[in-house]
Amino acid sequence: MRVLLPILLVSLALQAQPRVQPFVLPNGLRVFHLEDHEHPLVRARLQLDLAPADTPAGLEGLSALALRMFQASASVEGKPDDFDQLLEGSGIQLSREATPTGLAWQVVARSRDQDRALGLLGENLLRTVFDPATLWRQAAACWRDQEPLGASPQVRLRHALAVAPGERPTQASLSAINLEDLIAFRSRVFRPERAVLVLHGDLGLEQAKRLVLLNLGSWVGPVLPATKAAARPPAAPGAPVRIPTSGPGLTLQAVAPPPPEQAPEILALLDLLLPGDPLLPPVRVTLEGCGLVATLEPGPETAAPQALATLHGHLAGLAQRGFTQLELDRARGAWLARRSLDSLHPEALLAAALAEAQGHGAMPGPMKALTLETLNAGLRSWLDPKRLRTGAAGPPEALAPLAPQDPAAK
Amino acid sequence: MRLLVPILVTALGLQAQVPRLTEVQERRLGNGTRVLLVQRRELSAFHATLVFRGGRAEEPTALAGATDLLAQVLYGATWPEDVEPGKAKLELDTLLKQEEGLLEAVRLERQRQRRDAAASQLPALEASLATLQGRLKSHLSASPLADLYTSRGGRQAAEATADALVASTELPLEAFDFWCRTEAQRLRTLQLSRFSGARAALNTVLQRRGTQGLALLRGAALPGHPYGRDLADHLSALEALRWSDLRSYAHRALSPDRLTLILIGGLALEQALPVLERSFGALPASLDSEEALLPEIPADLGDRRVQVALGGEARLLTGWRIPARSHRDHLPLRLAAQLLGGGNTSRLQTRLVRQRLLAREVTLQMDLPGSHLPGLLAVDLKPAEGHSLAELENALQNEILRLQQEPIPQEEWARALTMLEADYLRMLDDPASLAKGLGRAWAEGGDWRLLELDVQRLRALAPEVVQAAARAWLKPSHRTTALLEPSSIDGLDPLEAETAKVLSALAANRIADLAQREHLVKEGLRQLRMLSPEERRRTLNLLAAQLGPEKR
Repeated sequence: MRVLLPILLVSLALQAQPRVQPFVLPNGLRVFHLEDHEHPLVRARLQLDLAPADTPAGLEGLSALALRMFQASASVEGKPDDFDQLLEGSGIQLSREATPTGLAWQVVARSRDQDRALGLLGENLLRTVFDPATLWRQAAACWRDQEPLGASPQVRLRHALAVAPGERPTQASLSAINLEDLIAFRSRVFRPERAVLVLHGDLGLEQAKRLVLLNLGSWVGPVLPATKAAARPPAAPGAPVRIPTSGPGLTLQAVAPPPPEQAPEILALLDLLLPGDPLLPPVRVTLEGCGLVATLEPGPETAAPQALATLHGHLAGLAQRGFTQLELDRARGAWLARRSLDSLHPEALLAAALAEAQGHGAMPGPMKALTLETLNAGLRSWLDPKRLRTGAAGPPEALAPLAPQDPAAK
Repeated sequence: MRLLVPILVTALGLQAQVPRLTEVQERRLGNGTRVLLVQRRELSAFHATLVFRGGRAEEPTALAGATDLLAQVLYGATWPEDVEPGKAKLELDTLLKQEEGLLEAVRLERQRQRRDAAASQLPALEASLATLQGRLKSHLSASPLADLYTSRGGRQAAEATADALVASTELPLEAFDFWCRTEAQRLRTLQLSRFSGARAALNTVLQRRGTQGLALLRGAALPGHPYGRDLADHLSALEALRWSDLRSYAHRALSPDRLTLILIGGLALEQALPVLERSFGALPASLDSEEALLPEIPADLGDRRVQVALGGEARLLTGWRIPARSHRDHLPLRLAAQLLGGGNTSRLQTRLVRQRLLAREVTLQMDLPGSHLPGLLAVDLKPAEGHSLAELENALQNEILRLQQEPIPQEEWARALTMLEADYLRMLDDPASLAKGLGRAWAEGGDWRLLELDVQRLRALAPEVVQAAARAWLKPSHRTTALLEPSSIDGLDPLEAETAKVLSALAANRIADLAQREHLVKEGLRQLRMLSPEERRRTLNLLAAQLGPEKR
């Protein structure tokens, strides 16, 4: 009875959250609608998934540059400044985000400006004409995003490790991208059947359908030639990334993106179980957008290769030990209870709806059915040393031993 | 009557245009704790923020870093041993006291060893410390799910700001009573069991962070003022800070009369209040509720300049000393800041970044580092390729003059107001942001109602008032400019490195205390950055001449 009561309360609380109502436009765009009239605001998030084959070899950074071009170019009718004035004149917030796995547009507007907000989202997506005059400048800005010189060495290291070695943009790859590449990328990726739109806030279902149809209903991807995209060979982990610094301290990091086949329920539980596990110190583990990030800041007496071995050793030790049934049960209980916290964050509601739409969201049914063996197998697969991208930031002399050996010197 | 009608129409218009703040209910508990509750029936969880006014600005210099440490040690997690001490408390206290003694002994021995490396007791002391910390560890929870909030699905975070210590928690609604009991117990016990680890971690972060542009600007613009203090300059004080010092400080700084408790969620006041009174209300009221006396700094300090090579990118940082939030010119300056740097259509973004291609990035920050006291309005500009910091400086000054002198176009004015109102509406929609806004309004301006009042007053402002405030405050005598030049990969300005060596050698002859010596050198370097490179070179030669030939 004691156990049942909290579960009952949680499920009652979850019922109070806005219900997701899905619909599909004739052009294939999937839309998920969450009606919530508590505040006069409307939020929309449009997500386009990316596959490794979308970026040809030698053009790494293509997706990030394309997104920047959407920001810097204008639609058929006007100038970029006009677009921003329309947005800001109505207090509409439009942000764009590029991650290794997708591109996203996020809009927040007062509900009285919902027509204009969806209209401007549609205009930016469908009617932007890339301006070749800004291409060089945007490529340079992309490179600065990739190599943020002003950021701390630790942030730069994290940045470098967030992307797989073969997919990291370089100055050469960004300079190699021309207007035709961008247009071809847009034709391949910007297609309604590849997109998901989530709407949340002060608008009814019928109004949502009308607005989406009006503004994104004409979105049709051009016919693509029936060519088979060349698969990118999986990149080998390679030598550790090295970021030289002026300060004395050394920082080592290992980043492991979640395995593609990993069940979302396992990711959700490891998010609760991993950070702070007693087997890890002095290694710190956090779970971030790019995956699992393990950090070690050794003392001055420890050489970089030794510290790297310590970092690997702690992660391997954890993978080998795994978790107990008691830990699994506690984590499961905490996850169930935490779901109600989404109601406090409108953005989290949007993200949860999107994850569910894409099949990435953890669900109570599979969560309850998850066994200890599956959890520990998931942990081992995530911490597989072959999947770890490692790097170090520190004084050049401390980093030298991590440099790849010259085969000719052997 | 004729006069009344337009006033009435305007007032009604204002009410229609400005979104109203969700009803905030305010109560005072018996011991002086303020409670602000925003009931949102549809929420199945609650957000709670504790705001202790004071913050970094009110730390005594000897306790620099105390607010940051409290944010981490007291509010970083909720371990059972810190809030449900039971019988083991006595033993834990004893171990923590012993650890404090050993940590201090190790620190002093390290200092002694730097002066005289012979016959050190350091290895023995460190071994004793390691053994003791091993015993201490056995009293501390190990699993992340032992955290009392995490195991209930909760989340918590804490932040030390210039004006307050802010601790936030989010939990499912049914955990409200438990949260009240736990938080009251946390404040009653002030166990701080993970003090030594947190202090070491903060020390490492500060050491590795190095000198930062904005910290440099604050130091130069607000010399000798708590708002100008950079924690990285007080590492020695942080190393000397003891567990018992921090507890004593926490007893004073976290007293009920300094606390405002902000609750947002599916909670009704009539149900929440008795629980709050039994828990938070039962905390002993502070006997010593004296307000800290903070030094005042004249805004008219003169035009100050700092030139330094920090490594990284070239940046132009400009800060103007502006009044505190309670001052009548603060709100007009907020609108001036919005016109200058708020959004993609702001003046600096449009003219300097898009039209003239002088800068590639612009960031404007109001109330750096806080606004309970007079702080800074700071503009951070990164030059575009092929353009110098001097060009940027001129262009920025031109924009400031235009704002002060030329009429503000109606469309631009309306856009700035709309953006601020939309920001406000988005804040109302997000409980964490709303709690933060209410907390800041109280800690900085003395009244949480300012959050809503400011938005209403913005609509009533006239462009001429904003221009008058810009003329009064954004003037050269209030300005500090920091020119950060890029340098080679080692990131060090050779002139500054040489000066540091000479200053250290000079200080070593006169000051025995290493902490004092380090502080003096840093302060000296900070002052010297105000000079031009030629003047700095001449000063260096004069200083070097004071050293004996064997030390040069």
